[in-house]
Amino acid sequence: MSTSNDGSLTPRSQHASNCFDDLLDSIIADVASECHRIARLGLDRSLEAEEEELRLSQLSDSTRGAAGGEGSSKHGVDIFGQSHPAVASDIFECMNCGRPIVAGRFAPHLEKCMGKGRNARAKATRSTTVTRSRHSRGSPVSVYAPYSTSAQRAPNGTAGGVSEDPSDYNIEEQ
Amino acid sequence: MAKSSAFMASHWFFALRGSITRPPTPDGDEGPQTEPSLREIINIKLIESGEKEKLMELLRQRLIECGWRDDMKSLCRAYARKKGRNNVTVDDLIHVITPKGRASVPDSVKAELLQRIKSFLMSASLW
Repeated sequence: MSTSNDGSLTPRSQHASNCFDDLLDSIIADVASECHRIARLGLDRSLEAEEEELRLSQLSDSTRGAAGGEGSSKHGVDIFGQSHPAVASDIFECMNCGRPIVAGRFAPHLEKCMGKGRNARAKATRSTTVTRSRHSRGSPVSVYAPYSTSAQRAPNGTAGGVSEDPSDYNIEEQ
Repeated sequence: MAKSSAFMASHWFFALRGSITRPPTPDGDEGPQTEPSLREIINIKLIESGEKEKLMELLRQRLIECGWRDDMKSLCRAYARKKGRNNVTVDDLIHVITPKGRASVPDSVKAELLQRIKSFLMSASLW
């Protein structure tokens, strides 16, 4: 490919060529050193065989809490070595209806609790605000529209809670 | 007891001194070696004038621009993948890259560098 080694090379040109080879050798050593570093430090993702990563993450699954190198946490191990179950199991109270709910089931519960868009009951969202304001004790919320269905949810015996628009309330009770 | 420890200390000190009292390296005498060859003179002049550094930077940049460096790196990656990432040594990689590396330098890059080297040699009246 290169034509530098033809027979007519003078000794002086040879020196220049040698210098060039020296420079090139240094640069080759640089590249080799850098690639060696990348290989040893595991910085090149493509160098890790897929099987190796899989093995590591399986190891972390079997021995609970063992940190699996760069294994993804969806196999159950986070950076502290703890593994979490796929479905959250904590129980807390729904802030809408007050029932104890398993955290993993919270989203579907909210859908039913707050009324989905599709399978909606006849309520609109405004009435939900009304309902909530009636539940909370004496919160000064301006009532928008006195829909008839809203009052059915409010228990009759909420003493001291209903301070807004008693006239509406009384009408519904009939 | 203090006396004996002082004696031990001084004894150790003298033992150490024994190793640094050898005759100094002869500096005026080049021994069996001949005078520095022309090649070495050139090298020394290159380094002293700072030209070697500049040439190195130029070559490095040209090789990056033409993609030579990336080719070499992918060669290294392939070799590391084959051999197992923790089994490679720097020497291995150098031996892997050198033949292919020397052969795949673009002619224009080589010509440019040779031209610079020659003009330096001429300016340093070594030509």
